[in-house]
Amino acid sequence: MISSILLLGGIGFLAALILGISAVTFAVKMDPREKAVLDQLPGANCGACGFAGCAAFAHEITVNPEAEMACPAVNEEALEAMSGILGRSLGGSAPLIACIRCKGAPAETTNRYGYVGPKDCRAAQIVAGGSKGCQYGCLGLGTCEEVCPFGAIIMGEDGLPRVIESLCTGCGKCVSVCPRGIIQLIPKTGNYCVGCISKDTAKDMKPLCKVGCIKCGICADVCPFDAITVSKTTSAEIDQDKCQRCGLCVSACPTGVISALRVPQKVRIIAEKCKGCSICEQVCPAEAISGKVKEPYFVNEGKCIGCGLCIAKCPSDAIERIIS
Amino acid sequence: MKTFKGGIHPPEEKQLVKDNPIVDFPLSSRYHVLVQQHLGAPAKPVVKAGDEVKKGQVLSEPLGFVSVPVHAPTSGRVKEIGRIVHPVTGLLAPCIVIDADGRDEWAEGLPLERDPFAMSREELLDAIKTAGVVGMGGATFPTHVKLSPPKDKTIDTFIVNGAECEPYLSSDHRLMLEQPERVLKGAGVIMKALGLDRATIAIEANKPDAIKLMREKAPAEIQVETLKVKYPQGAEKQLINALTGREVPSGGLPMDVGAVVQNAGTCAAVWDACARGIPLIERITSVTGRGIVQPKNIRVRVGTLLREVIDFCGGLNGAAKIIFGGPMMGIAQFTQDIAIMKGTSGVLVLREEDTNITAYSACISCGRCVEACPMELIPSVLSKLGEKGMYQKAMENNLLDCVECGSCTYVCPANRPIVHFVKHLKALSRAASAKK
Repeated sequence: MISSILLLGGIGFLAALILGISAVTFAVKMDPREKAVLDQLPGANCGACGFAGCAAFAHEITVNPEAEMACPAVNEEALEAMSGILGRSLGGSAPLIACIRCKGAPAETTNRYGYVGPKDCRAAQIVAGGSKGCQYGCLGLGTCEEVCPFGAIIMGEDGLPRVIESLCTGCGKCVSVCPRGIIQLIPKTGNYCVGCISKDTAKDMKPLCKVGCIKCGICADVCPFDAITVSKTTSAEIDQDKCQRCGLCVSACPTGVISALRVPQKVRIIAEKCKGCSICEQVCPAEAISGKVKEPYFVNEGKCIGCGLCIAKCPSDAIERIIS
Repeated sequence: MKTFKGGIHPPEEKQLVKDNPIVDFPLSSRYHVLVQQHLGAPAKPVVKAGDEVKKGQVLSEPLGFVSVPVHAPTSGRVKEIGRIVHPVTGLLAPCIVIDADGRDEWAEGLPLERDPFAMSREELLDAIKTAGVVGMGGATFPTHVKLSPPKDKTIDTFIVNGAECEPYLSSDHRLMLEQPERVLKGAGVIMKALGLDRATIAIEANKPDAIKLMREKAPAEIQVETLKVKYPQGAEKQLINALTGREVPSGGLPMDVGAVVQNAGTCAAVWDACARGIPLIERITSVTGRGIVQPKNIRVRVGTLLREVIDFCGGLNGAAKIIFGGPMMGIAQFTQDIAIMKGTSGVLVLREEDTNITAYSACISCGRCVEACPMELIPSVLSKLGEKGMYQKAMENNLLDCVECGSCTYVCPANRPIVHFVKHLKALSRAASAKK
């Protein structure tokens, strides 16, 4: 009994001694900043920075003072922390978010044939160019969901992928695997996305998909900021730099192919500041503002579409968004 | 009997159509001639809507050396340069639509009468290219390119491929039985173009009548060899290995071991092109399988719609799958509105019970695919890498040497679509190298 305790304890002590000595003797010298930077990185090893993982990139950005912030997935807070650790300002690009540019769920679209084979959109694409009737539409096998390192894409019950805004870091991994180029990265501040990239004319597209862009051009007409372009053979494209997120296109689109990433916030008028100039009433496209001149105006919340045109035009800063 | 290592023995099923003599497919009222019917650089249409064309007239101009023209299958008027589903890619591709005038008149000067054995090598190659001849076994690689090896490669072996190892198909078999002279004379012309004085014609042992006939008809310099019945005996590299014992190196071509292989149908087309100036506008196709009412071997013009071919053969009977080519390497089609191409060696119609459309499961590492692989690859590893999309690792495992013969998929007890995985990996590696 005693001898076995002594024997095993002795072996344990000896091993600990060897390990302890070798840990000191063979220690790899690592810049402590590197560890701190690594802690700030997302740790998903998605590879979007072009390096072999977060550790490799942390090393690069620590030892190379010229290295720029290549991680698209890092958030504002971490960026600031890393700038502090490294003692230099890391630029970083504007945060992006993925949007799915196809609304053609299986229920709305036709199939050319039944696909049997590996559950990977890229593998399905090489079989006669994919089974979906529309050659631009989502194949729905969920390769984007599979590769997303942040769990930010889930395949919805309708058979289309959905991006979870709060989790998406804009790393672009999904964009690189989608064989049909349906996923697009837009600035996180953007709110509207056209759910169709079909280059077919409306006549060719309509038999294949009930919900695609029919290139009618109404969205481009109603857009007060000239942010939308559309032609007979290109679906509507929103220029995110010009878009002011008024959302008029969403309500005007006859097929409902333009969607909002988040519900627009409605507005209210601060009665104390309002001078009753009536400009807001004139610019409101939804006829949601009414009132008497020289008295405070008020917003009918039921009608307000949250376009924010009134906020931009109000000379007395009397309109604000309702924070819910 | 000569053969190679590996391979499989699927049911031959040739009895459905092998004894049916070739019948002429009647003239159609409209043809859809795809512009791209070959592997290689594209071709550009040289006719426009409203043009009158004659049978054999050039419709497109090849852009580059590895490219061939297409020709009008009959006389008539060009309706439009339209689009039709391409049987290989499954996508809409440009085609020249011709409304036949029913007179079926040859273009001026055709057919010619000339002695190809009095022509120079360059004249022969030019005649073959001008006639739009491509490999008619299905791969559709331009024939004149195969016959123009670079100067540093010495060719000492020419093999006429009459193996026809794909189950069901009998188009080459019927051709050798009914028109042996065209095949043998065409082989003679190719020998001249290659500067060789001997050739071998290789036929699988399941065609004893063709072997006997070829032995009777063949001149002394053309030797007839019997091959063991095994798939893929007719694949170029396996055929060379079986007959000469040489092995085409990894990533190499048959010309690297001094060999050129041409399909029997291609030889016949070469003869027509060189002796009579007739372009490749028709071919022999087996329409077969238990899903078609009357299996037939037909001589059909390129550009004929599949729908018409099926009607001519009595229509469908419980069809579940229509394939252009054979069951092993052919390509399944999703519509009947596609056109017969230069490389359509067969139209196979399978019933539900002839197919195996079931879900696949995990690899059990049994190694049957390794035994079956004629290229001595390890398909099980490739299939697992395919599931993960790991193409770089697959390249290290000689991914690009896979000839996609389908032997591994055929023997896999877990029903794994191994060839599909391989095609997927190849596409990924192509996309990655295109990005760079």
